[in-house]
Amino acid sequence: MEFVFSQLSGFGEAFVALVVDPLTYVYLITSVFLGITFGALPGLTATLAVTILTGFFGNKIPLDYSLIALLGAYVGAIYGGSYPSILLNIPGTAASAATAMDGYPLARSGRGGEALGLTTTASFIGTLIGTVALLIFVWVLLLISKNIASPEKALLALFGILLSGTLMSEDLVIKGWIAGLIGLAMAMVGMDPLLSEPRYTFGWSYMLSGFQVVPVLMGAFAVPQIIEGLRHVEAAKMLKLQGRILPNMIAIRRHMPTITRSGVIGTGVGALPGVGEDVAGWVSYGVGKSVSKDGKNFGKGSIEGLLSSETANNACIGGALIPLLVLGIPGSPPAAALMGAFKINNVIPGPTIDPEIILRVVAIMVLASFTMFVLGLFTARVFIHILRIPQTVFLPVVMVLTTIGSFSVGGGINDLYLMLGVGFVAYFMTLLKYPIAPLVIGVILGGLFDETFRRSLLISDGDLSVFVSRPGAAILLTLNVTLILAQVPAVRRTFQALKQRVI
Amino acid sequence: MNNSDELVILRARDFWTSLVLMAASVFFIWRSSFIPLFGGNRAGVSGADWYNSAAIVPLGIFGCLLVLSFVLLFIAVRSGGAKTALSAAGVGWNRAEARRFSTIGVILFFYVAGLVPRVDFVICSGLLITALIYGFHLGKPQRMLLSAAIVAVAGAYAMAAHLPRSEWAQHDDDLLALVLWISFTVWVVLQNRGTRLAWVIPTIALTAPLVLVCAMAFGFRQNVPNRGGLIFKQIEYHYFVSLKPLWSR
Repeated sequence: MEFVFSQLSGFGEAFVALVVDPLTYVYLITSVFLGITFGALPGLTATLAVTILTGFFGNKIPLDYSLIALLGAYVGAIYGGSYPSILLNIPGTAASAATAMDGYPLARSGRGGEALGLTTTASFIGTLIGTVALLIFVWVLLLISKNIASPEKALLALFGILLSGTLMSEDLVIKGWIAGLIGLAMAMVGMDPLLSEPRYTFGWSYMLSGFQVVPVLMGAFAVPQIIEGLRHVEAAKMLKLQGRILPNMIAIRRHMPTITRSGVIGTGVGALPGVGEDVAGWVSYGVGKSVSKDGKNFGKGSIEGLLSSETANNACIGGALIPLLVLGIPGSPPAAALMGAFKINNVIPGPTIDPEIILRVVAIMVLASFTMFVLGLFTARVFIHILRIPQTVFLPVVMVLTTIGSFSVGGGINDLYLMLGVGFVAYFMTLLKYPIAPLVIGVILGGLFDETFRRSLLISDGDLSVFVSRPGAAILLTLNVTLILAQVPAVRRTFQALKQRVI
Repeated sequence: MNNSDELVILRARDFWTSLVLMAASVFFIWRSSFIPLFGGNRAGVSGADWYNSAAIVPLGIFGCLLVLSFVLLFIAVRSGGAKTALSAAGVGWNRAEARRFSTIGVILFFYVAGLVPRVDFVICSGLLITALIYGFHLGKPQRMLLSAAIVAVAGAYAMAAHLPRSEWAQHDDDLLALVLWISFTVWVVLQNRGTRLAWVIPTIALTAPLVLVCAMAFGFRQNVPNRGGLIFKQIEYHYFVSLKPLWSR
C-alpha cells in the first residue's frame, strides 16, 4: 500500500510541476493539435507525426518539453485517425482501420456527431486506462527487470524483432523476419560496441559512427509515404456531420463495460514488443464482436464496434510505453520513434532509467489526453475542414519538414543521403509487402542485441548454455523458438493433427 | 485485377527479391571475413576467442538472411513465381506507375543530393514544392516530366558546377535555381488561371520553407542547411543586425 501511495505522490508532484509551467500548455496544445491534424489527414500517420517532431524538437529543447511535444502528438494522431474513418470511410491511420467499419455507417445514418463525440470520449478514457497501467506495471516490471542480465536482454531484443515481424506482416511472416534482419544488419554498420572494430564502413568516415536513428526513421516512415501519396486521387465524398458532438453521459455509462474491456485489451496488446495500435484496434474489435450482445451488428453501424477499436488503439499508447521504459524495447512503431528521441537526448530507456522520467511521462500522458478530449469536442469542425486538403498539396511540405528535421538533428548532409537511401529501399519493401516497423525496431535494437549477446558469451567463456541456464533466459529462448516453430508448416500440421486427435 | 492475379505478381517479384537478398547476404558474409573471427590484434588488444569477435553477430544475421531468402525462393517457385518472373505482365509492370515513381525519384534525388547542400534552402524547397504539387496534383504525365526536368536541370547544374564541398558556398547555382523557380511559377500560374492552384502553389512554395527555416534557425536554434545561401544569408544578417538589437538592448 505504501508503494502505491509513494507512486501517487510522485505522480502528483510531476503533474503539478507541469500544470504550473505556462510553457507546458504552449507545447501541449500545439503538439496535440498537430497530432490530430497528422492523424486526420489520410497519408500521414502517428509514427510520422512523432518522427517529424523528433526532428524538430530533438535535442535542442529540454527533455521535458520534448516529451510533451512527442507524447502529445502521439496521443493526438492516434485519435485523429478516427475523423476520416467516420466521415470519409478512409482510415486516417492504420490504427483507425477498424473504426471505419462502424463509424462510416453511423455517419451515413445521420449519427456522425454522436459517433465523433463517443469516439473522443472513448479515446480519452482509453488513453487514461493505458496510462494507469503504465504507472502501475512499469514499477512492478522495473523491480523484476533489475534481475535481467545480458542473456535475457539479448533474447528479449530478438523476441521484440521476431514478434513485430510476425504480427506486422501483411503477406508472408518471413517477410517480417527478413525486414527485422535487414534492420539488425543496418545496426551492425560502424564501430562495434565492445572492441571498436570498424564494420562495413567501406572506408567512409561517416559510417564509423553507424547509421543515425533519426534519418533512418525519417527515411523509413516519411519517404515511402510521400512517394506513395503523390498521386491524383478523386476527392472522396465527405458526409455532412449531423447531430451534436458533445456526448451524452447516459450513453457513456451504458457503454462503459465495452470501453473498459477494450482499454484493457489495447493496453495488453500495446505491451507486446513491436506490436502497434492497428493490431490493438483489430484484436479488440474481434473480441468485441464475439462477446458483445450487439456483435451481429458489428460492421453495420454499431456503437459498440466503434468503441471497441477506438478505445483500444488509444489505450495501446500507454501499453506500448511499458516495454519501452522498462526494457528499452519499443511497444509500437511510434514508440520506436519516441525511442529515437530518448536516444538523441542521451536517455537510455531500460532498467537503469531515471524513475523521475517515468513519472513525468505519466503526468504528460494524462495532460495530453485531457487536451485531446477538449480539442476533440470543441474544435472538431476545424479538423473536418483540414480533411479537405489534398495529399498532393501537403505531402511536398512534409518532404521539406522531413529534410530540415533530419538535417538539424545530426547536422550533416550525409544524414540526408542516408534518409533518401533508406526511403527508397523502404518504398520498394512496402511495394513488395514487407513491413517497415520490424526494420526500424531492428535498427534500434541491433546495438543492444549485438552488445548483450556478445557480452553473454564473453562472461561465459563462449558457453552457449548461458542462454538456457538462467530461468528468465530459458523462458525467453523458449518463446523465441516457439515463435519460429509456430510458423513452420510441418509443425503447424502436426499440432493441428494432435489437436483434432485430442478433441 | 483480382486477388489471385495480385498474388501471382507478388510471387514473381518475390522470386527476384529472393535472388537479390541471396546475393546481398553472400556479399556481406564475404565482407564479414574482413573482420577478424579467430583472434587478431587491434590497438594492442588481442581478441583470441571466436566469441569475442565483432564478426560473430553479423555472420549470424547474414547467415539467417541467406536461409530466409532460400525459403522465400522456395515459396516463390512453388507458387509459380519463377514461371512468370521473366514476363513484364508477370511482375506487374505498370508503365504509368513506373513513370510516376521515376519522376518522383528524380526530383527527390536532385533535391537532396544536388540542391539542399549547395543552394539556398528557401529557393530549393520552393522549387521542390512547386514541382511536386504542379506535377502530381492532377496526375498528368506531361506535368510530371516537366517538373522532374526542371528540378533535374537545377540539381544537375549545382552538382556538376560545384561538386566538392569547398565550392558549396558559390551563388551561381542559387541564381539558376531562383530563375527556374520564378519562371516555373509564372508558367504554373498561367496554366492554372482561374483555379485555386494558381495561388495555392506559389503561396505554399514561398511561405512553408521560409517559415520553417526561420523557426528552425531562430526559434529552435537548430542547424539548417546552407546557412550561406542567397536568401538565408540576408535573413540571418538582418535578424542579428537589424532585428535582434531591438529586444536585446
